Amino acid sequence: MTQGCVTHSTFIIERNLASSPERVFAAWSDPVQKRRWYAEGERGSVEAHHLDFRVGGSEHTTTIIGGGPFKGTALTNDSVYLDIVPNQRIVFAYTMTLGEKRISASQATVEFLADGKGTIMAFTEQSAFFEGADGAEMREQGWKSLVGQLEKFLAR
Amino acid sequence: MEKSSVTHATFTIERTYPVTPDQVFAAFADPAKKRRWFFPEQGAQVEEHEMNFHVGGAERKTFRVEQGMSCRNETFYQDIVPDERIVFAYTMSVEGRPISSSQSTVELLPDGKKTRLLFTEQAAFFEGADGPEMRQSGWNSLFTRLNSQFAQS
Repeated sequence: MTQGCVTHSTFIIERNLASSPERVFAAWSDPVQKRRWYAEGERGSVEAHHLDFRVGGSEHTTTIIGGGPFKGTALTNDSVYLDIVPNQRIVFAYTMTLGEKRISASQATVEFLADGKGTIMAFTEQSAFFEGADGAEMREQGWKSLVGQLEKFLAR
Repeated sequence: MEKSSVTHATFTIERTYPVTPDQVFAAFADPAKKRRWFFPEQGAQVEEHEMNFHVGGAERKTFRVEQGMSCRNETFYQDIVPDERIVFAYTMSVEGRPISSSQSTVELLPDGKKTRLLFTEQAAFFEGADGPEMRQSGWNSLFTRLNSQFAQS
């Protein structure tokens, strides 16, 4: 098969959460809650977080990277919401931009599956990585870290 | 445990077109050119088509198929590298009910005076969706129709 410059991959992260689907969904859909575990959880300082949670609505997050080789560089996430079924499912597309360079575009599906009193949250990312991107392993690690932040937030 | 309502699938299509990448790119980027090949099956009535081809721009198409069902495609452009790459996310709805959401990548690779097109769709299918085989078949038809835009002159 012909080789292009884009690398595609898919990963899934599943977590058992003690909170109800309604509670977990609210952490994603309420801008105040989302900012706490998602934007403020990043390793760096949050410059901006805006969330317009509706189908066709967008979300914008800018973080200044705190350390490592890209210290001081702005990392921007631009999302658009594609499908929302309250307390059940969120699908969004997002791009990551490092400085001036767009490094990836992804579709993410988050499902909230009732399990007794709790929730099984299934996060599926289908990514397209461009030149200079972190890549699938690092991206998965990044989201695992964020899911950890979400768990801490829900447990408080 | 509640069951998942989503099926994820990825498929790829490769085609060669007898023109240079800038011409294939134009067939995607120029609304007048795009309308000539990017339309649903025979007998479908296109009711609305709006296109904003830039990163962050959206494209909307509503059409009614022969059986009378109303379908809607909403597309959001994620990344555009002129003459090289287009990445977009799109949803399909039937009678107002969403059936799928996908991210699609179009890569255009020069091949002498020709272009190799690589299409990758990463799809999430919901209840009532067509599914990966039918969706791939639909795109194959579109890419065949695209080829007829480049008649040997």
